Amino acid sequence: MGYRERNHIPDLGVGVGFRKPHVAHVLREKPAVDWFEIISENYFAEGGIQRSNLEALRGAYRVVPHGVSLSIGGADPLDHDYLSRLRDLVRRIDAPWCSDHLCWTGIGGIDVHDLLPLPYTRETLEHVVERVRRVQGEVGVPFALENPSSYMEYRESTMTEYEFLAEVAEQSDAGLLLDVNNVFVSAYNHGFDARSYIDRIPADRVVQVHLAGHADRGSYLLDTHSDRVAPAVWDLYRRAIRRSGPVSTLIEWDECIPPWQTLADEAAEARVVRDQLALQPARAASSRLA
Amino acid sequence: MNRLASLQKAVAEAIRSDVSCGQTPSAGSLAGLVAASHRGMGPADRLEVYREQFWLRHLSSLEEDYPTLVAILGAPAFRELAARYLRAFPPRTWNLERLGEALPSFLEHGEARAELSELARDSARVDWAFMAAFGAPDAPPFDDRILATTPEDRWPFARIAFHPSVQLLMVSHGVDELRERVQHGAPPGDAPEARKHLVVWRDRSCFLRVIAIDDGAFELLRILKEGAPLGASCEQVAKSLGQNEADLGPRIAQWFQQWTAKGWLRAIDFPAG
Repeated sequence: MGYRERNHIPDLGVGVGFRKPHVAHVLREKPAVDWFEIISENYFAEGGIQRSNLEALRGAYRVVPHGVSLSIGGADPLDHDYLSRLRDLVRRIDAPWCSDHLCWTGIGGIDVHDLLPLPYTRETLEHVVERVRRVQGEVGVPFALENPSSYMEYRESTMTEYEFLAEVAEQSDAGLLLDVNNVFVSAYNHGFDARSYIDRIPADRVVQVHLAGHADRGSYLLDTHSDRVAPAVWDLYRRAIRRSGPVSTLIEWDECIPPWQTLADEAAEARVVRDQLALQPARAASSRLA
Repeated sequence: MNRLASLQKAVAEAIRSDVSCGQTPSAGSLAGLVAASHRGMGPADRLEVYREQFWLRHLSSLEEDYPTLVAILGAPAFRELAARYLRAFPPRTWNLERLGEALPSFLEHGEARAELSELARDSARVDWAFMAAFGAPDAPPFDDRILATTPEDRWPFARIAFHPSVQLLMVSHGVDELRERVQHGAPPGDAPEARKHLVVWRDRSCFLRVIAIDDGAFELLRILKEGAPLGASCEQVAKSLGQNEADLGPRIAQWFQQWTAKGWLRAIDFPAG
């Protein structure tokens, strides 16, 4: 039995990141979106407008929290206050899973608020596996790790990112959040083959996919979440869905956020890809019958 | 683990630096940690991507939290000041909303004090009061039946708890009006010198509000917020205003009505017995 089945991970369909410019529209109009993802840390406060907006959102949609500050690979101890807030949030919204990035975000008590890559070594692997197990025990729902976009690699790494990610997931029995745009960005920046990366990720552990746009900075690509999904990233998405089957997919857009309709169009496109690929085996079967 | 910690320390130091990664004294050792790119980007160029993002992200966050101060100083001067603040108070929590928590005190007590006008320092305090009200916990609605049902002789012993979002500030300029203009996209204009007592809070619909109140009401709020019982607090306020308590009574009743209507009260507690 695969990871998703064992953990009763639902396919939520195609969702959109819940972001400030569209909060009023979403809560008023309840547009046709399958689900929303929230940035976990934005909803850790014990009161205020965000908490009340989240309650309203949860009344109409399934909501999944996605963190940016857990620092699963950090050398500092895990932050218990952070974990207890995450657990409360997960319970409050009855989240089917939660996720964060394979990265570190600070050291020595200083938080740099970035998703910094890890050296992919055996030593780091043991460290991350142990922390993922603790996080899963604390939050009480399946936990998925997202592949980060990165701009540097360490000389001491002895494994590729997909090898490292796959092994962390296997050893800690965690899920994966496959960010297809991040694969594309990192592949460009580090010169590896994005398709091989997608092909080597354990498909049954993928609980969610992220799609987003990036910016070309000449000598590197920057994961800005500021544009439409690039055609090459859509191709990678098709490849990923062909391997994993239809899994919950999310459109992320965090900078220069466009009108709601643009986000809805991107979500519709993802839905078409998922539906076409889901129909393919059925089409093949019906043509055999004919 | 020690190896991972020292690598992370070296990288974090490089990306928090205000000097570009190729020019730091540790550039040589960083080159030993970070691999060069096939696209001709050296280790320093790669780290530089993260360094740029560090400053961009944190300066933008502070700009967003201090709109009135930005309007008064102008964006370039604000950024220069905010960079000095970040060097003195690096981010120590995952919560970006708390990044600017120490800025008012940095401006009040640090070397920046001499360079800034009182208006700028007042603005920083008002901007932060809004942030504090924004992130304050919720509280259950105040049950005002207690006002009608409590025997008169028990009131002097009452201790008042306020909604956690209620922030009190004394300023020397009309910063509240200036902030209002800035929030509506208008030029900041002048803020005439005027001693004001402000209350910033989050109302029942989660809107952030500011109001100027009179000296007596402010003083009573301040003392009550510190936890003093109502009787002693009223006595102290009457003395500071040069009035007797009996004359002050009707005003206090009015203030309580206003505080209740605005949702500032959270609870009234009486000592047991």
